[in-house]
Amino acid sequence: MTDVLRIALPFTLWIIGFCALYALQGLVCSHHWPAGLDGRTALVAAAALFVLGQGVVLAAVLSRPAATRFAQRVATILAVAALAAAVWTSLPVLALTVCG
Amino acid sequence: MTQRTALRLHKALARIWAPEPGWRGWLTTNNNNDIGRLFLAVATGFFVIGGILAMLIRAQLATPGSAFMGPEAYNQVFTMHGTVMMFLFAIPFFEALSMLLLPGMLGTRDLAFPRLGAYGLWVYIFGGSAVIIAMLMGLAPDGGWFMYPPLTSAAFSPGLGADVWLLGITSIEVSAIATAVEVVVTVLRYRAAGMSLSRMPIFAWYILVVSVMILTAFPPMILGSLLLETERALDWPFFQVENGGDPLLWQHLFWLFGHPEVYIIFLPAAGMIATILPVMSRTTLLGYGWVVAAAVSLAVLSFGLWVHHMFTTGIPHLGLAFFSAASTLVAVPTSVMIFSWIGTLWKGRVRMELPMLWLLGFFATFVIGGLTGVMLAVVPFNWQVHDTHFVVAHLHYVLIGGYVFPMIAAVTYFQPLLTGRFRYFRLGEVAFWLVVPAFHVTFLAVHVAGLLGQRRRTWTYDEGQGWEILNLVASIASFVMAIGFALVILDILINTFAGLRGQRNPWGAPTLEWAAPTPSPTYGFGSIPIVRGRYPMALDPDLPQRIAKGEGYLADTARNRRETLIVDTMTGEPAEVAVLPGNSRLPFLLAVVTSTSFLAPLVGAYWLSALALSGVVIIALIWVWQLVPATTEGPVDAGRGALLPVASETANPPGWWGSLFLLLADGVHFGSLVFGYAFLWTVAPNWPPSSYLRSEVWPVMLALGGAVALIAGPRLLARAIGRPALPGLLVATCGALALAAAAASVMLARPAPEGHAYDATLWLLAGHTAFHAALVLIMLGYLSLRRIAGHALRVGEARIVSLWADFAAATGLVALGAAWLPGAFA
Repeated sequence: MTDVLRIALPFTLWIIGFCALYALQGLVCSHHWPAGLDGRTALVAAAALFVLGQGVVLAAVLSRPAATRFAQRVATILAVAALAAAVWTSLPVLALTVCG
Repeated sequence: MTQRTALRLHKALARIWAPEPGWRGWLTTNNNNDIGRLFLAVATGFFVIGGILAMLIRAQLATPGSAFMGPEAYNQVFTMHGTVMMFLFAIPFFEALSMLLLPGMLGTRDLAFPRLGAYGLWVYIFGGSAVIIAMLMGLAPDGGWFMYPPLTSAAFSPGLGADVWLLGITSIEVSAIATAVEVVVTVLRYRAAGMSLSRMPIFAWYILVVSVMILTAFPPMILGSLLLETERALDWPFFQVENGGDPLLWQHLFWLFGHPEVYIIFLPAAGMIATILPVMSRTTLLGYGWVVAAAVSLAVLSFGLWVHHMFTTGIPHLGLAFFSAASTLVAVPTSVMIFSWIGTLWKGRVRMELPMLWLLGFFATFVIGGLTGVMLAVVPFNWQVHDTHFVVAHLHYVLIGGYVFPMIAAVTYFQPLLTGRFRYFRLGEVAFWLVVPAFHVTFLAVHVAGLLGQRRRTWTYDEGQGWEILNLVASIASFVMAIGFALVILDILINTFAGLRGQRNPWGAPTLEWAAPTPSPTYGFGSIPIVRGRYPMALDPDLPQRIAKGEGYLADTARNRRETLIVDTMTGEPAEVAVLPGNSRLPFLLAVVTSTSFLAPLVGAYWLSALALSGVVIIALIWVWQLVPATTEGPVDAGRGALLPVASETANPPGWWGSLFLLLADGVHFGSLVFGYAFLWTVAPNWPPSSYLRSEVWPVMLALGGAVALIAGPRLLARAIGRPALPGLLVATCGALALAAAAASVMLARPAPEGHAYDATLWLLAGHTAFHAALVLIMLGYLSLRRIAGHALRVGEARIVSLWADFAAATGLVALGAAWLPGAFA
């Protein structure tokens, strides 16, 4: 199962990170968000953490080879793609109004 | 072994795997061939019904101001068309094909849980029939296939229509989840010897991914249906703004299911394309590893798009941008697949047989549908065409082009394997040249009508808006397309009964399913094959003969029972012998009581629903009791000198694997409930409620103590094999009771769930906890009964209970914590 989990991991983390970012944006725009805390800063920090996490996954996939060459290759493709997906889907936090 | 030995083996296996004779055989069979054929026939029947409804829609829209149908009838017709096609045809049809083909592709004799497959079939038939009967009685739902409240609330949709949808469709989703669990465990564990992950046929990868998607996408929809039905029946206000609810919660839950659903439908078709195209091109698939990676990434990305169906609901621009970005990403893995297939065509020598024609129809259509999908991912364009016929045309390009055409290719390609007959009558080619051009005429016109502003879901339109010619052309072409689809079905039927008796593997395919005799016998393979590459039939042309002669595993029929091989997930090395159940009425009976429990509330018979639910418990207990023998037998001879343990005697028996993936679905269901609670807490207009729940200390202590005992008890049981089991049983029972009591304290503290969405959600969180504690209690009762009957306790059984107990404890703590924390901090 280890190879199956290795293949599943990069994009599973992507969907968790992506949903967390969206949830944070919802929280930032709600009445629960503390008045003194800057929402964009929080979102940019979360996005940076998201991208960093995917980078760590890629590094882990590369540094600990899978049991088979096939699983290693597929996991590497997916880890690179998930990192790119994290960067692409995080970009809006730098450009758009947070709650408008 | 001689030819005579092969014949003797065939006769012995045919006897062991035979269904009961006569009509009763259809009710008791659980063999994948029988169940798959029934599934396929019923799903095709629903396709015909959905098609007739489509023709009614086009007849109505052909001319402005048409008197063919009134708005009430039209609303029911378009709602039922979408519902039938999405829930009763698309998903069951590929599940049927998977049931029929997957064991052969993987080199196993049947799916992992044959009774579960039969149960899924009957639940689907009962649920689907109920929805169709309701339509014939004029009680069909009329709120659209995505059933948005408040339109579908009791206030605006009185009557039974919405209830029929919510209860009937949910029961069908139970069927889909049952099949998905079966498929996942089969692909991971039930394969030919030597079939490692990298040697799996590409369709197995696709269907594995799709089944995991079903397990994770359907639970939010099931939760949404539960919430809406509870609101309609008991007035718990989850979607009523004035009482703390929010209709947008429904949209989130629905599209958390609804968008992945599109890919749940597309990916099996893509798996078929990746299987058939290389054979039609007389080569191998280009970029196997890349295609696997594309399928995995597309599956997960599809879960990050749900809000793009909600671009016009007033969500902040940043939120829209997140989902617009994610939506455009989907084009990347889809393109990887498309280019892999184009490259495969390029490197091979294409033969223009009928399956290839349909695949070319797929390319021409799906690429257009994909590109209009990218257009819809762009927010300003989406705003412009939202709820117009442009969206209708886009989704038909994707679903008919991306699913129906490849599935017709698959049926015609696999027809020799399934029926033993090769095509002789060439009606299929005529059908192709009717369907594909007519499809494009129909839906190109619908695209343009949408761009010109024609709204979807309106029963008629006025003259002078420039839509008349477009609608008339679309309607005429749609009838030509319908005639073409009728010819497709006729072609398949004629060739099934009067086609040429063909030889094995007429296409020269390299995959394992073609190593079985045609039509595939009930037992699949005479012995479990040994494979040494991704394309076993190409590497070893004599493989079918050697399998038939019993040169693989499990060729000995002396034990006189249905057996197949379980392998190591990664390497494919033989690991265990699975003993599969024989014919049984239990799946049918369980489906009857399950469907009754779902459908009885439609006529207000809540007592019958409760009675049926207790029937579910009793039949499920008998089911499990029959599956596990009273005594253990130790390792058995699997052939070729291998002594392997029987699967039910291992630490992780098939039931453990099935439970693991069922709990994945259960976990997503619970996660969706917590999401719903957090969503309302964050954005619903009438929050916070007038007061939060404030818990005393004792319920918290009960919950914590109960969770610890629930986790510890089954572990004590697992260590007590051969010793008294009472301490473990007692500890776990006390744990489950304590957790249930803690959950009950929440309900007692907030006795009016109909007052505010907060209270209603607390009841659901507590109910979830109590329900899972009760499930564990039933399992512990079962183990106690087995001990009393003198049966040997197996470590696998204790580990299965442990899984469920861990889940009950973990989700119980989260649920009760979520209920208590806001009050603690308020």
